[in-house]
Amino acid sequence: MIKLTKIEKSFGKQLVLDSLGLEIKPGDRIALIGQNGAGKTTLIRTLLGQYTHQGLLSVFGVNPRQQRVDVLQKIGFVPQHSPPIQMSVKELIAFSDSLSAQSIIDKVRDLAAKLEFDVQQEGSKPFYKLSGGMKQKLLISLAMSRRPDFLIMDEPAANLDPPGRKAFFGELSCLPKQTAMLLSSHRVDELLPLVNRIIEMDCGRIVQDERTTDSVADGKLLNCQLQISNENEAIRKTLSSWRFSNGTEPGHYSGEVAEADRMRFFNDISHFSNHIQELNLEAS
Amino acid sequence: MSSLVSAATNHKQNALLATVVAEIRESFRAKWFFLYALIFGGAIILLLALGITESQVLGFTGLSRLLVTYIQLCVAILPIFVLVTTVRTVVGDRESNVLEYILSLPISLAAYYWGKLLARFLIVFLPVFLALSGALFWGAVKGLSIPWTIVGYYSLMLAALAWSFLGTGMFISTLVRKQEWALGLAFLVWLTLLLFIDVILIGVLLQNQIMEEVIIGIALLNPLQAFRTGAILLFDPELSLLGPASYVILDNFGKTGFLLYSIIYPLGLGWGFSWLGFKVFQKGDLV
Repeated sequence: MIKLTKIEKSFGKQLVLDSLGLEIKPGDRIALIGQNGAGKTTLIRTLLGQYTHQGLLSVFGVNPRQQRVDVLQKIGFVPQHSPPIQMSVKELIAFSDSLSAQSIIDKVRDLAAKLEFDVQQEGSKPFYKLSGGMKQKLLISLAMSRRPDFLIMDEPAANLDPPGRKAFFGELSCLPKQTAMLLSSHRVDELLPLVNRIIEMDCGRIVQDERTTDSVADGKLLNCQLQISNENEAIRKTLSSWRFSNGTEPGHYSGEVAEADRMRFFNDISHFSNHIQELNLEAS
Repeated sequence: MSSLVSAATNHKQNALLATVVAEIRESFRAKWFFLYALIFGGAIILLLALGITESQVLGFTGLSRLLVTYIQLCVAILPIFVLVTTVRTVVGDRESNVLEYILSLPISLAAYYWGKLLARFLIVFLPVFLALSGALFWGAVKGLSIPWTIVGYYSLMLAALAWSFLGTGMFISTLVRKQEWALGLAFLVWLTLLLFIDVILIGVLLQNQIMEEVIIGIALLNPLQAFRTGAILLFDPELSLLGPASYVILDNFGKTGFLLYSIIYPLGLGWGFSWLGFKVFQKGDLV
């Protein structure tokens, strides 16, 4: 599906991609990890046909620099930093729709709703005036609504709130098995539950490429019960952001956590770990 | 096969149109556009309010007098406004990462680039054209005679002038990687062309006693000079305002010839630079 052979890219005298070789097959769900400056963004931009390079690049059998429209019809992309697009939400959706081979307007609206973004309500707002999380939700909806064969996402869940993340992981798990994904992040723990392959880059080279178990396909949810002592406003606020509800007993909370979100959830509740009397986590 | 080709053509048209519409909407929201429209629209209103159509300078009166003053305004403001706003088009999108996102969508480079250029042309020309139309409407209401031939030529010349600077602006925009550089280059181009109108050429003429034809030939390569001379020719068929240079110009071009030159040359220049800009854009790193 995608093949890179001895790809090199330099900016001035600095070699950013160094004789890079990589093959991505349908169904590959890749966590692309590495330090800042490792070459992750350069690799992504090269795959999108945005950089000139040396070496051979074949995306869906053609070079994206030469046949960019054909290639990009099959790719969905979510950038790390949402650009300050001046168009309103509705205009951006219409613009994206006009470039797509099939109409995506209804799909975007439905997907956005699942991510708790109301297109109708936010439609007339300029995109750049939305909050970071809202922008991310819309860009994810736009990218996924085209049902691409290859999804490229740079820190896709970084700005999402817990319910948004849960819905996002759920949607990823609903994608066809053949859809390939390249998810870039600084943190492997965040992506681990989503992927079946980990690629680590350093100094423009791939230094690790290994396969893991396929866990995102299940889109698992975990049932969680918590017993808290001496609860306070900060604890209530944190648990409320995860959509946990109060039980009948004082200090008892319950809710659902996406398997992919387990690490983040533990990190959040670690701030009041001395108040946790009981914690029960099991697959729903 | 033919349906595939037709689908591809439709997609290209859609993408071009979508870019034009998006760019026009964006410009309508931008502050620079309101300032620009205010200057050109406001200038006409101000000139009319000041009663310029009733004054007489060098034998020009009525709407012709208004147009003579409007020419000075256009030469002074239009090029720098067009340059300053256009040079940021590609480089601005690139710096803000908008380009990275837009070009990740299935849009051809041609649709993006020419769509932006076409939209900019409409946005730049529309206020000037509307201001002119407003003046004509006012003239008709007041019962003044309307110089249709002059207005027709003048509109075409303005469109050609705007196009030449749009092309130059887009070329600069694809050439540099920082907006500051783009703006610096835009000012340099404008200042050079402005100085070439009078100061530099007259200085060269006086000091080196170079053949008049050569000096005038170089002067007419300047789109600002071509516009100004063409505009003067509309009102002063003998070009008496230009002195001896008028003989060289009229002998070589003739009146109609020069009027056509002052339209075709800036148009060609604009096309040339915008095409070069597209090639630069297409060839290098896009973001």
